[in-house]
Amino acid sequence: MNLVLAFALVVALFVVGPLLIVVPMSFSTATSFEFPPPGYWLGYYRAFFADARWTQPVINSIGIGLATMLLTILLVIPASFAMVRQRFFGRSAVNLMLMMPMIVPHIVMALGYYSYFSHLKIIHSPLGVVLAHTCLSVPVSYLIIAAALKGFDRNLERAAMNLGAGPLRTFWEVTFPVLRPGFLIGGLFAFIHSFDEAVVAIFISGQAASTLPRKMFDSIRIEADPIISVVSTLLFGVVLLAVISPLIWRVVVKRPV
Amino acid sequence: MVPPVGSAAIKSGSSDAKAWLLLLPALAFLAVFFLVPLGQVVFFSVMDPGFTLKHYTSFLSDSFYWRVLWGTFQTAGIVTIFALLMSYPLAYMIVRMGGHFATVMLLIIAMSFWTSFLVRTFAWMVILGNNGPLRAILEAFGWSPAPQLLFTRFSSTLAMVHLLIPFMVLALYSVMKKIDMNFVRAARSLGATPFQAFHRVFLPLSAPGIVNGCTLVFIMCLGFYVTPVLLGSPREQMIAGLIGTQIEEFLEFGEASATSVILLLVTLAIFAIYNRFVGLDKLWG
Amino acid sequence: MTALDSRANSAARGMLAGENGTMTKAYLEIRDLVKSYDGWQKAVRGISLDIQKGEFVSFLGPSGSGKTTTLMMVAGFEKPTAGSIRLGGREIAPVPPHQRNIGMVFQNYALFPHMTAAENVGFPLRMRKRPAAEIAKRARDALAMVGLADFAGRQPRELSGGQQQRVALARALVFEPDVLLLDEPLGALDKNLREHMQVEIKRIHRELGITTIYVTHDQTEAMTMSDRIAVFSQGAVEQFAPPLDVYLRPATRFVGGFVGDSNFLDVTRGTDGGLTAAGLGALDLPAPEGDRFHGLIRPEAIGVWRGGEAGEHCIVSFTVEALVNYGDSVLLIGGGHGLSLRARIPFVQATDIHEGNTLQLAWRRRDMHLIPA
Repeated sequence: MNLVLAFALVVALFVVGPLLIVVPMSFSTATSFEFPPPGYWLGYYRAFFADARWTQPVINSIGIGLATMLLTILLVIPASFAMVRQRFFGRSAVNLMLMMPMIVPHIVMALGYYSYFSHLKIIHSPLGVVLAHTCLSVPVSYLIIAAALKGFDRNLERAAMNLGAGPLRTFWEVTFPVLRPGFLIGGLFAFIHSFDEAVVAIFISGQAASTLPRKMFDSIRIEADPIISVVSTLLFGVVLLAVISPLIWRVVVKRPV
Repeated sequence: MVPPVGSAAIKSGSSDAKAWLLLLPALAFLAVFFLVPLGQVVFFSVMDPGFTLKHYTSFLSDSFYWRVLWGTFQTAGIVTIFALLMSYPLAYMIVRMGGHFATVMLLIIAMSFWTSFLVRTFAWMVILGNNGPLRAILEAFGWSPAPQLLFTRFSSTLAMVHLLIPFMVLALYSVMKKIDMNFVRAARSLGATPFQAFHRVFLPLSAPGIVNGCTLVFIMCLGFYVTPVLLGSPREQMIAGLIGTQIEEFLEFGEASATSVILLLVTLAIFAIYNRFVGLDKLWG
Repeated sequence: MTALDSRANSAARGMLAGENGTMTKAYLEIRDLVKSYDGWQKAVRGISLDIQKGEFVSFLGPSGSGKTTTLMMVAGFEKPTAGSIRLGGREIAPVPPHQRNIGMVFQNYALFPHMTAAENVGFPLRMRKRPAAEIAKRARDALAMVGLADFAGRQPRELSGGQQQRVALARALVFEPDVLLLDEPLGALDKNLREHMQVEIKRIHRELGITTIYVTHDQTEAMTMSDRIAVFSQGAVEQFAPPLDVYLRPATRFVGGFVGDSNFLDVTRGTDGGLTAAGLGALDLPAPEGDRFHGLIRPEAIGVWRGGEAGEHCIVSFTVEALVNYGDSVLLIGGGHGLSLRARIPFVQATDIHEGNTLQLAWRRRDMHLIPA
C-alpha cells in the first residue's frame, strides 16, 4: 500500500511539476527557452502588456468567448427543456445531433469551416469563429444545462401554480431563478471551451481575428517568442486562482461559524 | 405521483409540436453551421472537380499514409496505456485515502485539467528543450551528449500522456467514488487477501471507469493536433497533423478531405463500438 | 383580529350555514373520476367521493393505489380522463391550477429555494396582486400561526425539516384557499416530529375549519387525524367512512388487512342456515346475506381464557409457536384446531406464557366482524 501511495505521489508530481516550470520562465532574462533561467526580470511582462500583437488576441478571445457563451445558452436552454421534459418521436436522434460536435475531431471541423467560411466570406472574422465555437460548445453546455434541468424539482412549479401563478409567471418567478446557476455554469463552460479552443481557431481566425490560443500556437511554432512564458504564467495563474479560491473561501469565510 | 413513461401517448400531438419548436433554434443552427461544413468535407473528398475516388485510392495505395495511420494508432494506444497505468493508482489512492490527501490531489488534477493545452505543451517544450533541465540532468548523470528529446515521437507521446492523465483520473475517480467499500471489506471478511479483494472485487467494479477513460483518451489522441505538431517529429506526423499540412502547405483540399473522412470514420467506429457495448450517454457521465 | 382569524370565523359561519340547510349538497363532489396515462391501464378507476365543507378527509392506501393521482386531479396538475370534480357546485375540471384557489402542501414541501420563508409565504398574495403592506402583514401572521414568527428572513435551506413543513403549511393557507391538500406531508420527518406535526395540523384545521384532504400511507396518521378515511386500493376506493368504522367494520378484506393487525377466519353458511367457521364450529352470530364470509378478529380482541362461564365467548385451544414482546404488550403467534391465530395481550397477563405452551384463547362472539367474501 505504501508503494502504491509513493507511486501515486510520483504521478501527482508528474502532473503538477511541468505546470510550475512556466512561472520562473516568465521572469527569465533569456531570449530563448532556457532552464534554469540565467537571470530574472519583469521585462517580458512589460513587453506583453505593451504589445498589441499579444493584447489584441486576448481581447479577441474574451469577446469571442462572451459572444459564444451568449449564443450557446440561447440555443441550448430551449433545446434542453424539450429534451428533458418532452417525450417525442426522434428524441434519441436529436440527442445524438446535439452531442455530435463533441464526437467529430476538431481538425476535421477546422477543414470544413476553412472552406465553408471562405465561401460565406466570414473567414478570418470574429463572426466566423463565434459561429464555429458555438457549434463546438453546444454539447458541453447541453450536458450541464440538461443535468441541471433533470435535477429540478417539478413540484416547485406545481407549487407556484397552486399558489396562483400562471404558466409564464411560474417560469419567470420560479423555474428560471432556480435554474439560473445551472444556466450560468453551462454558459461558463461554453466560454472556457471557446477561450481554450485552438485547432479551429488556428485555421479560421486569421491575423485579424486571431484568438489567444492561435497567437500562442504561432508564437511557439514560428517565433519562439519568450513572451509566451508570460502568457502561460498568467493563464496558469487564473486557473490556479479559480481552482483554489473555493478552498480559500471555505477556510476564510466559514471558519468563524 | 410521477406519470409513468408512457404518459405522452394521449397528448402526443401538441407536445411533439412544442418540443420541435423549442429545438428549432439549436437544430437549425447546428444544421447550417455544423452539418453543412461537415458535409462539405465529405463532399470535397470525392470531387475533383467532378466525382472521383482518387483521393481515397491515392491515400490507400501510398504506404506513407498507411504509416501515418498506423503510427497514429500506435501513439494513441501507448498514450492510453501509460495514462491508465499512471492514473489508476492515483485515482485509487484518492478514493481510499480521502480527506486532505484527496482534496490536494483533486486540486492538482483540476489545475492541470483546466490549464490550456498550449500552456502545458509549452512547459514540455522548455523541459525537453536543448537548453532544458532534463537534458542537463541526463548529462549530469554522464549521458553526454544527451540525445535530442524535442521534436521526436518520444516528446509528443510523453506530453500527451501528461495532458490526458487528468481526463483519465477524473473518469476513473467518478466511477471509483461510487464503489461501496463494504464490498471490499466483505471480501476481506470472507477470507480474501488484500490483493485478492482488490483484484476480484474492486478492479471489476471499477471497470466502467477504465473503459470510459480509455475510450476518451484514445479518441482524443487520434485527433490530437496541437501537441504532436508543436512537439512531435515532423517526419513522423500523426493524422491530424497530416491534415493540417495538406491544408496549409499544399492546399490539397481533396486529399485533406479524404484524410479527414478516414479519421472521422475511425473515430465514429470507436464511438459506435462503445455505444454498442456501453451506451454513449454514459461516456460523459 | 388577524386575517387568519377572520378566515376561521367565515369558515365557521360557512359550516353553520351548511348545517342549517344545504347539508345534503357536498362541498367537494368527486364523481366517477377516471385517470389513465396510456389510454389503457387506469391509475384511477371511477372514484366517487362527497366531502363536506370543513371536513378532514384522509386518503389512505399503499403506494400506487391512486390516492396521489386523485389528489393531483383535484389540484389540477393531472387532467381527469373521465368524470367530474365539483367544488361548491362548480365544475373545476377545466379550471387551470393557478385559478383553483386550492392550497397544497407537497411531499418534499417544494419551498422556493431562492426566496426567504416570508417571501415564500407572501408568494400567493403577490400572485393575487395584493398591496405590499398587506402581503407583509398576512405573511407575518401566517408564519406566527405556525410558530415561526422569528424565522421570516431565513432561506429554506437554513430551516429544519419540521420548520420547512410549517412554512409550506403557512404558504398553503395564507391565501385563504377553499380546500387544503396535503400530500404525505410528514413522510420525511422522524417519528417524534411527525406526532408533533399531526397535533399541529389538527389544531390549525380546528382553528380555520378548512376543508382538508390528507394523503398518507400511514394508517395511524389517518386514524388519529381524520373525520373520515377513504381507503384506496388499485385505483378504487374500498371504503369511505369514519376511522372507527374503518377499523371495526371494514367493508372489504383489503381494508381489514391494511388497517391494523388482523386474523381472518373462513366463515361459511352451514346446511342448517347458521354460520360456521372452520375449526370452530357453529358461530351463533346474526347471519347477514351471503354464503361465504371473511371473519375478522383483531388480535387485541383475543384474550387468555382462565376458565369460567363461557357465555358469549368463543374459546379455542392454542399452541404458542412464537412470542414477540413489545414491552407493553405481547404478540402470540400460533394455532390450534387447524387455525392460525395472532393474539395481542397485555404484558402483565403474559408473564407465565412461553413458546411451546398450549393454552386457551377466547374472544367475544360479537367482536368478530363478517366481511362478505
